[in-house]
Amino acid sequence: MRERPRRRATSARRSAVRRELACAAALPLLLGEAEAARAADYEVEARTEAQAYEVASPWGATLDRRRLTQTLGLAAHNLQGAYRPGEADYSVVVLVRLDADLGVNDQLSGAQAGGETTYATAVPGARYVPGLRPAPLDVVYGYVEGQNLAHGWLGFRLGRQYVTDMLGWWSFDGALVRVTTPFFVRAEVYGGFEQRGELPLSTSRYEAQGVWRGSHSDFGTNGDAPRLADYPSFQYAEPAPAFGVALESAGVSFLHGRLDYRHVYNQGTTITQQFPDPSGGYRAASGVRTSTEKIGYAADGTLGPYGDVRGGFAYDLYANTFSSVFGGLEGHLGRAVTLGADVDYFLPTFDGDSIWNWFTHDAVLTMTGRAAVRLTRELDVAATAGARQWRADGDPATFAAAECRAAASEGRTTGPDCLGTTFDPSTGAVRDVVRDAANRTASATTDGLANVAGRYRWPSGDVSLRGMVQAGERGRRVGGDLSGEKRLSGGRYSLGARTSLYDWDDPLRPDRSATSFGYVLGVGYRPMSSADLRIEWEHDMNRLVGQRFRVVALLNVWAGR
Amino acid sequence: MSGRGRQPLGRARGDDRVPSWLGVVACAAGAALSLLGPEAAAAGSDAGAGGSAVSSTWLPPGAASSPVPSAAIFPPQSFALRFDHRRHVKGLHLGCVSCHAAAKTSDSAAERVLPKAVDACDGCHGTDHRDLGAVKAGAAPLGACASCHEMKAGEVARVVAPPANLRFSHKKHFARNIGCGQCHGAVGELGLAGREQLPRMPGCLTCHELTGPAQGGAKGDCPTCHLVRSDGKLVQSFAAGTLVPSRWLRGAEHGPDWTERHRYVAADDSAFCGSCHKAQECTDCHDGRVRPRSIHPNDFLSMHPIAARQDSPRCTSCHQEQTFCADCHRRTGVARDVASGNRPAGRRFHPPPAEWTTAPRGPNHHAWEAMRNLNACVSCHTERDCATCHATKGVSGGQGVSPHPAGFAAVCGGALRKNPRPCLVCHVSGDRFLGTCR
Repeated sequence: MRERPRRRATSARRSAVRRELACAAALPLLLGEAEAARAADYEVEARTEAQAYEVASPWGATLDRRRLTQTLGLAAHNLQGAYRPGEADYSVVVLVRLDADLGVNDQLSGAQAGGETTYATAVPGARYVPGLRPAPLDVVYGYVEGQNLAHGWLGFRLGRQYVTDMLGWWSFDGALVRVTTPFFVRAEVYGGFEQRGELPLSTSRYEAQGVWRGSHSDFGTNGDAPRLADYPSFQYAEPAPAFGVALESAGVSFLHGRLDYRHVYNQGTTITQQFPDPSGGYRAASGVRTSTEKIGYAADGTLGPYGDVRGGFAYDLYANTFSSVFGGLEGHLGRAVTLGADVDYFLPTFDGDSIWNWFTHDAVLTMTGRAAVRLTRELDVAATAGARQWRADGDPATFAAAECRAAASEGRTTGPDCLGTTFDPSTGAVRDVVRDAANRTASATTDGLANVAGRYRWPSGDVSLRGMVQAGERGRRVGGDLSGEKRLSGGRYSLGARTSLYDWDDPLRPDRSATSFGYVLGVGYRPMSSADLRIEWEHDMNRLVGQRFRVVALLNVWAGR
Repeated sequence: MSGRGRQPLGRARGDDRVPSWLGVVACAAGAALSLLGPEAAAAGSDAGAGGSAVSSTWLPPGAASSPVPSAAIFPPQSFALRFDHRRHVKGLHLGCVSCHAAAKTSDSAAERVLPKAVDACDGCHGTDHRDLGAVKAGAAPLGACASCHEMKAGEVARVVAPPANLRFSHKKHFARNIGCGQCHGAVGELGLAGREQLPRMPGCLTCHELTGPAQGGAKGDCPTCHLVRSDGKLVQSFAAGTLVPSRWLRGAEHGPDWTERHRYVAADDSAFCGSCHKAQECTDCHDGRVRPRSIHPNDFLSMHPIAARQDSPRCTSCHQEQTFCADCHRRTGVARDVASGNRPAGRRFHPPPAEWTTAPRGPNHHAWEAMRNLNACVSCHTERDCATCHATKGVSGGQGVSPHPAGFAAVCGGALRKNPRPCLVCHVSGDRFLGTCR
């Protein structure tokens, strides 16, 4: 008898779970159902961003950038009805963006008019930039989401979405399922296609580095169309299947860890050799191959009132190397002071199709100490100082000499630089000398770096100061910004200003060293509670470009949020 | 430390009418106190980073991590009262709910659980608060208005106690036999209790550590206690302040250098960020189309080459180099593999070939730059640029200058199996080096 109520409760729970799952399955129908629609919360947001400025090349030519970016965001939340914490809820969100540059081609006239985007001009291809689109349209994200299904066990997302983890900030089109257990563990499985540039409604932002991809739709073989021979590095954009899994802790606030694995594949045809065969053709390969395969872990722990500790790594399973490692420790001294230390290791890795994974390159190691002081509720400052170390295989000061000695000791004949890196594939001459680790030395250069940031905030405004210095063998950059904003009439109007002074020195290109002074003036107006407008004027000056101006206008209109 | 006769706590802290120059003075004082040490800082003014005049043993649980209640959650209060909890609790042996009777039944943070004078006070003090417009004093001294109330110009000063910006049910907690002190500390040891006795989130989390489907009612999800918008994100903006994480919560204090540090938290637990932030807030910078000045200061166009060489900020955090960077570099003729008309003849971006490309390899040779920061090369160059020299001789079209690192032979086999494409850029399939990897 005592079992009966429990069974009833269990049965009720099962019914509820079944209802939720049925609801998830029938979501498209729900979306169209008027009764459910009335209960949902809707949001619409339209943002218009207009910018006008110039970009100057090192040799004086300028590009007009007259950009108009229009985003439209739509969202419907709580499709299930009223929101209740912990209970199942469903939502649909989408953000669409048009990013037009009305200045593309603007610097060209006469026979070259339109030449940046049209190959067939009077001098075909003289200005052509493959893949350059004057007004691309993309879906930034768009998905259906269900949360807290099955009493909190299940969640899902379907559509274009992000995954943010130790492996990076990444976007794909597909499905993600999340299972949250009562045992402080959550699992995530997802699969679909990586968002890649030049695929419909996509940007290249989320592709791995190192491969130039785009649409070849305007390519041809005649003289009036771009040819493969002209751009062998420009690869075909193809859908890239991807999947990933993650395991993370859930529930506790003082400790969190997340383990990630992700594998992305390239497929389709790829041009390999960059120079034509004797027959004039280009070699290509095709098939499914690894684009990226990485595993990563990150964790943080709070040491009660005393501080916190964090760390993480990303290992590139394709390149067989750690691509990122970080660790940090913070201590709370009293109520206002936080002291910390961080170390960050970064080795660039690239798409599996890229040659650069296999070029000799080394990691960047950054070590910093940090102090943050919250002096009052309104005023806080933070400062960071440390060093960044750059490494290279070999010592620029002694490199050739060491190789010469090594080559001479073996009685080998090398080139005039004694590098021994030039070899005949048929014999592999002098390969042993340069590949022998004993003949290689590592060298390191170190940059000193420091940042300081402070802000003073009050209910109707704020003032911020930011300064930085980074100096070393590879150059020096030092400068700072002072900015502030004052809101008037309860935020109906706002005034903003920013001034900056920076100086940099580039030892590799001394003619490009300069000092820059700039300022920004801005004014904002909120005509109604669901719209705001902001206009900014930027004026920068340095000896390289003289005077440079930039105008930015932002209009934001929303409803329902 | 009884607190008897103290000024209401939190008044100065929440008062935005304080002249701004006082902030500068407070700042200097706070800095000096901070340098003196934690205890000195802790004893500082409440207008500062958070001071307390209540013994730490009497503060609510979690006060060690979170010394001051959140101003956004608990708006400033003004208890213009003369009241001694200790006398009532220890002297008269009254329990909390003797006066705060509503705590047993209140199901919402919007409901006041402060004592109603007509129920809690009149019986002992001989006063009559039934008509608050015409309150009758009792016999002096305990029945006099000034016995309990602070007076302003002969009038009773008002008590201001705005509701907490929370979802909270006293009733549920009371029903679970959770004592008042578990959230409010040792109020019975104090005189007038103020904001300092309001709950701290670390204290809440001693119970609320359970995840979604875990049994029990004390779930740890943010909306369990915090107000949420229609999109499920936490309400962050309140009249009294903005809700932001404190430093004890995942080390996520949103200080002035938070932009540089947020990646550590986001890499570990982006769902935590998603409690408050919409994806669009990420895309505004990470896939943005308007240069965020908090990342790239004024005139960044002019200084970005040196910034890229210094990897500060890290370009690849937001940009795909072969498209975002190189598209502009192709248009301006900075890249090598560009249309003929985009680059004036004889113009060269890098140092002269004698230093940059040809042997012998001096300190300014490109090899050192490539090894130190290969990403900087990739932002302009296509692979054909590199293959010109680094591909093998013969059909591949290069000069046979191997770019591979020491130890490459040990890993090339696995790489070749997973993706032969990069090998085939520089080697022909019958190449004996490729054969070695196979």
